[in-house]
Amino acid sequence: MTIDPAGLIDDRPDEGIFRVDRAIFSDPGIFDLEMRHIFEGGWVFLGLASQARAPHDFFTTQAGRVPILIMRDGEGQLGAFVNSCPHKGAQVAQTRAGNARIHVCPYHSWSFDSAGRNRGIKWQRAGCYAAAFEQSDHGLARLPHFGEYRGFLFGSLAADVPTLAAHLGGAARFLDFVVGQPPAGVELVPGAVTFTYDANWKLQLENCSDAYHFTSAHPSYIQIMERRQKGDSAAAVRSIWDQSQAWSEDAEGVQGGSYSFEHGHVLNWGRIGLTGSHPLFESAGDIAARHGAAGRDWIFNMRNLTIFPNLQIAENASSQLRMIQPIAPGRTLMRTWCIAPSGESGAARRQRIRQYEDFFNPSGMATPDDTVAYESCQRGHAGRVDPWLQGYARGMTAGRAGGNRLSDAIGASPRRSVLADSQLCDETLYHNYYREWARRMAAGVGAERA
Amino acid sequence: MTAALSRSEAEDFLYLEAALLDEGDWDAWLALYTEDAIFRMPAWRDEETLCSDPDTELSLIHYDGRGGLEDRVFRARSGQSVASHPRPRCVHVIGNVRLIDGADGIAEVASTFTVFLHDMRADRTHHFFGRYRHMLRHEAGTWRIARKHIVLLNDTIPTVVDFYSI
Ligand code: FES
Ligand SMILES: [Fe+2]
Repeated sequence: MTIDPAGLIDDRPDEGIFRVDRAIFSDPGIFDLEMRHIFEGGWVFLGLASQARAPHDFFTTQAGRVPILIMRDGEGQLGAFVNSCPHKGAQVAQTRAGNARIHVCPYHSWSFDSAGRNRGIKWQRAGCYAAAFEQSDHGLARLPHFGEYRGFLFGSLAADVPTLAAHLGGAARFLDFVVGQPPAGVELVPGAVTFTYDANWKLQLENCSDAYHFTSAHPSYIQIMERRQKGDSAAAVRSIWDQSQAWSEDAEGVQGGSYSFEHGHVLNWGRIGLTGSHPLFESAGDIAARHGAAGRDWIFNMRNLTIFPNLQIAENASSQLRMIQPIAPGRTLMRTWCIAPSGESGAARRQRIRQYEDFFNPSGMATPDDTVAYESCQRGHAGRVDPWLQGYARGMTAGRAGGNRLSDAIGASPRRSVLADSQLCDETLYHNYYREWARRMAAGVGAERA
Repeated sequence: MTAALSRSEAEDFLYLEAALLDEGDWDAWLALYTEDAIFRMPAWRDEETLCSDPDTELSLIHYDGRGGLEDRVFRARSGQSVASHPRPRCVHVIGNVRLIDGADGIAEVASTFTVFLHDMRADRTHHFFGRYRHMLRHEAGTWRIARKHIVLLNDTIPTVVDFYSI
């Protein structure tokens, strides 16, 4: 019998209390509900439109536990299908990406075109099929919902969901800013990096929005950036972090903050400003022309955007796109890429890639200090003497309903906002994750009982 | 007189590098590299194709100059990186050593590697395997690594991979 998820989030705003029960990170029943009602029960991020640019291009991806095939058909229309043959279930596409007018299933050679239609059943006439079979559709199962916003592709395996525009809500405004969104769109730098960690997917969900850990988990990285800046080291790689005042004790005034949007999406940001070590520096003028001065300033801020539940885009001196793929309560697969504006100069691309590798890679000097900490939390979560975690309390008295002058300047409309100095490190933005989590879990459990 | 390298000398050299990494003698390890050494472990473009151009495609690790490796050693020893401490126990096994070229003060050596590692904290043993390509240069009376290219074949990284485990 599964624990009731409703009892695992202690959310009492009037009393200033928000606590999370450790069980949400390790209970197998909870994990199963999350897969069914969050990852397979609503909108998830699937990939970028630029991963299939030409007619008949395809790529494979995942929605929860379900393999997905995204194809661009002969007319240039993108479609999303379950990558599983209607005959006996084999995966119709075997590779991560490619180009094919026809996909022939490897098991018994049923074939499908790039619009997902069945184009052949081997030895159909000799098959002595009943009329009922002949009259039914043998194409690939199409996802009930599939849509694109600014080059980002989302789909839902469940039919009963809001429109994509409603799902993204005010958070869409921040997809408008990803790597400056040039007219040519956004793309993934060749070379996907995949890693696993032995801990729950929500540890990654939270960490992306966690300003509090930076100086604690990454002092070695910060010191190396300082060394490089001083020229102690021959390496030419530099990071924008080393020019940021956001992490120094004496920084005054607003240095960043967070926004919470409907449906669990969250942005946290830090002030960095225009510097030559930013790969978009060369495009600052064009960016201002397209997005206005306020939009440009946002684009040059450090931003960590989560589109609940599985997309995270981290932008600082470089830019990472992450897909969170839960495997088990205590195991998560991360698919990560360097996301970049299409058409940027060779010098900017090189700078973006170099600044990416040391910070974002699991083979770099920062991410391992996060993922090892997640594993440490996961082991620690076994302790249930006091099941309630206290990591959701910073900023409790700092938040306000709606946006602020900075979001007003770009017409963004968050549900909640926090303005922070360098040491506030808001934790109330996680409330937004868990309120959406609790809402979706309760709706799912309710529907199962009905 | 120009320096030439034999295959057995190449093997000894690779075994020495492996031992220095496994035993944590990282200053001696760094000393095997030239000042301008290129150290690179590319990411994979797709299932079968490795990324080839470090300026347009991603690497798992890319350093143009030994300083990048010095930074890695600094971090691993700093006591300020939770991922680096306690240090996993590692063994490099080097095989299939072939001398591609070994005359005139320049040598190219191809080999394969398996690194077994045990992460004490997670009580987890796993391994990395792949291919090395070393470009050696005879410098100040000794052979040094001017370029090391690492092809990591099992590139779904279990949490951490660092210079000492590849
Ligand atoms: S499973 Fe695809 S043709 Fe049989
Ligand atoms: Fe981090």
